[in-house]
Amino acid sequence: MAEGSNFDYLFKVVLIGDSGVGKSIPAVLSRFTRNEFNLETKSTIGVEFATRSINVDGKTLKAQIWDTAGQERYRAITAAYYRGAVGALLVYDISKHATYVNVTRWLKELRDHADSNIVIMLVGNKSDLKHLRAVPTEEAKAFAAENGLSFIETSALDASNVESAFQTILTDIYRIVSSKSLEQSDDPIKPTSGDTITVSHSVDAPSNQGGKCC
Amino acid sequence: MIIGELESEVDDRSGTHTAKPRYEQGVLRGDAQEILNDPLHIVQRQSESASKSRAESPPGGGSEKLMRERSIRTNRRRRFVDCITRDDVDIAQLRKLAWNGVPHELRPLVWPLLLGYLPLPKPTRTSTLARKRREYASLVETTFSRGRDGLDQQIWHQIEIDVPRTRPGVRLWMQASTQRSLERILYVWAIRHPASGYVQGINDLATPFFQVFLGAYIESDPEDFDTAMLPDNVRMAVEADTFWCLSRLLDGIQDNYIAGQPGIHRSVKRMAELVARIDAPLAAHLDAENVEFMQFAFRWMNCLLMREISVQNTIRMWDTYLAEGTDAFSQFHLYVCSAFLVQWSKKLQDMDFQGIIMFLQSLPTQGWGDHEIELLLSEAFVHYSTWHNAQSHFGGR
Repeated sequence: MAEGSNFDYLFKVVLIGDSGVGKSIPAVLSRFTRNEFNLETKSTIGVEFATRSINVDGKTLKAQIWDTAGQERYRAITAAYYRGAVGALLVYDISKHATYVNVTRWLKELRDHADSNIVIMLVGNKSDLKHLRAVPTEEAKAFAAENGLSFIETSALDASNVESAFQTILTDIYRIVSSKSLEQSDDPIKPTSGDTITVSHSVDAPSNQGGKCC
Repeated sequence: MIIGELESEVDDRSGTHTAKPRYEQGVLRGDAQEILNDPLHIVQRQSESASKSRAESPPGGGSEKLMRERSIRTNRRRRFVDCITRDDVDIAQLRKLAWNGVPHELRPLVWPLLLGYLPLPKPTRTSTLARKRREYASLVETTFSRGRDGLDQQIWHQIEIDVPRTRPGVRLWMQASTQRSLERILYVWAIRHPASGYVQGINDLATPFFQVFLGAYIESDPEDFDTAMLPDNVRMAVEADTFWCLSRLLDGIQDNYIAGQPGIHRSVKRMAELVARIDAPLAAHLDAENVEFMQFAFRWMNCLLMREISVQNTIRMWDTYLAEGTDAFSQFHLYVCSAFLVQWSKKLQDMDFQGIIMFLQSLPTQGWGDHEIELLLSEAFVHYSTWHNAQSHFGGR
């Protein structure tokens, strides 16, 4: 991981949605290098971590992404990661209607556990499965608009729009954060239990040396 | 590798059965039906093939070191065979032997004995086994009698999407026939354990049992085997034995999978306390970097390190866990996890938050062999002996 530790903004983003919708793949195409060419990934257990950086207006925005397990049983542990998150990618599978129906439940999860001004993007994944489509694009788009979410369809298979999904949500977050960076003092939300980390939103987040691994 | 049991048998055979296709679908053993009826038959077969391979080894062939290793193996195997062929198996002796690893061809018999699935007295063994398999068959029949609609849709859905994601890329597990077996095992277990139901990761835990039991009936590598080739009664026996042994293992760690997963929380907390004792600088560094044990050790507990090490490594590790008793999967395991973590202490202390998390969730352990696992188990044992009965050192902080 030669990504280095230079960045101007560090954002914590959570990846949520039903089990099996393909959350892990769009998020982090290169998370496990040994599985790079393997379409079948193992299920996520608990929470897994990845990072991704992009450039906007000459600034490096870096996202720390917490990829959460979709199964109900893990909800207690995954919800602890919502705190301090400034963005959420809420993923459903366009070929499985039930995963879209559950979007409402996931939004409630976020309302209950996350920051109230978290930026949420609704992501319809597996757009490569056109012949199996069960959720019309227009319907999801309208739902997103009603609920103040941004919306995109992605395909992990051909990586279409995966990049732009990240680009969009990070840019949105950046616009919001930078517009109020003067008024927003450095006030990371303190975790009350031991199950969460807090990512500072400030421009001078520590950039430690020796962060190289692998 | 000193205790290289895993390869020995295959190596010995490849010279003598060169005509057999090795990489196609696998080869069913000629005596599969005998083993099905009485797993003790594998011991008999083993002694036959051992004397055969001795007779066939070229005079003066092999280095002195190889000869010595072979003789160590033969001795170990003989002690195992002596132990498990008694009319009443001495479980204490079997545990002692198994702690250091079970010869791979004897596992299908030794594991069920250690788990209490097979009775220790020889006379009742075959009848018990036949009864348990019938029982499983009837559980399956009743459970699936009303077709798909009669199933708990939520549980079934989760199993259905996890089974194809179990050991992706490994031929055995990509076969439809194996996947149907795994679905039945997981579903029947889940509805019999409503407090937990099926939880992701339990699918991983079924795979070592399945591969070990399958291995008794075939001559090739279980991971390349097409289970559609198995006679129905053999497939059902592998499935039933996997089901019952998995059930026994899970009985010891049910708290890991019930609501709130208190077993895992407890283990992770104790692990953090233990690491603070055995490697204070590492614990301090993790703390300073805001790394929490939950962030990486949750999976280590939930999947018993199966996402970190190979199935072969897991199988060797379970020899020791089963020898310790089923509560090893919660108790001894946290010492193994602690030893597992502190071996990268130096490296981790040079890393920042992101480096640590990324490193720990994708460890360079895929190439591990028996040697690394045995070293890990010994280190864990040292910590276990030192700290396990010193409970007052924990919890006071």
